[in-house]
Amino acid sequence: MADASPQIRLPGRNALSGRPAITHANQDGGKPGLVIEELVHLGKLNIRGAADILPGITAQTGCQSLPENNRFVTIGERHLAWLGPDEYLLLCEAGREDEIQTRLRQDFEGIHAAVTNVTDGLCALGIRGGSVRKVLAKGCALDLHEEVFAAGQCAQSLLSHAGITLLATGETRFVLVCRTSFAPYVVDWLVDAALEYGVSYRT
Amino acid sequence: MLLINCPHCGPREESEFSCGGEAHIARPLAENTLTDAAFADYLFLRDNPKGLFLERWRHAAGCRRWFNMARDTVTHEIIEIYPMGSLPKTKAGKVAHAASWRRETAAEAAAKPAKAKAPRAKKENG
Ligand SMILES: [Zn+2]
Repeated sequence: MADASPQIRLPGRNALSGRPAITHANQDGGKPGLVIEELVHLGKLNIRGAADILPGITAQTGCQSLPENNRFVTIGERHLAWLGPDEYLLLCEAGREDEIQTRLRQDFEGIHAAVTNVTDGLCALGIRGGSVRKVLAKGCALDLHEEVFAAGQCAQSLLSHAGITLLATGETRFVLVCRTSFAPYVVDWLVDAALEYGVSYRT
Repeated sequence: MLLINCPHCGPREESEFSCGGEAHIARPLAENTLTDAAFADYLFLRDNPKGLFLERWRHAAGCRRWFNMARDTVTHEIIEIYPMGSLPKTKAGKVAHAASWRRETAAEAAAKPAKAKAPRAKKENG
């Protein structure tokens, strides 16, 4: 899982560079209800194309089938998420996106498909904790019940007016992808919404 | 607040969608000889009925795909959601489509390709 592996840091700024860590204790004692970490420099590729992109996808990501609607598939460190009927988001190890993009483009030669590197345009956050669903529900209209939005489900939606892509990687953990320019707002909003449960933003 | 059943993503809140206004407005073809007044029907005039309305919607914050919706503007009841490029399938939707003043306009007539001429008999050259 991308949000469980040690962080790879590349030189250069990331979406939340320079922001100090934030900690508000859980008033009931115990662990904070929400822990937020930026998945620094996580590689992100937007992939467009019909079913004929599968051979290239399989060769370069190891993914054996394209994800169904509202779902993502996990292959080792990578997640391939469904975004629309002919659109996918590949989250891959930091620093690998250029190489995967180049290879996919070669594999897609002659078919109607596109691969766009959106690594720096989007910010990925790993969010987890016992209250993570309650916090998200304050600003997101998705049905976030753990039996409805279960592990393996993903959705594009709005979190307090900011466009997000949400991947449920477990019952109490998610990968939240938003635009880089919205990342400080999203983190501030999450911290504020999670005050009552205790929150830790780690850098 | 409407709960809209996106054809790709399933039921989602209205705030994720944007409404694209009246559906089934066909652009007159380039070779038309419409008057300015007739072209204005296509370009400017939009229906605003009290009752069933055929609209285009887009799942703006989700899959970003367009689709058509037959919605009652009084009760907000969604009668039908159907793909772009197709006509409504429900009886009420079909009636609303046929009853629109737009069906009678010169602009809509000019949006249909001219009927293909009967193929000429092939000359047999032995
Ligand atoms: Zn959708």
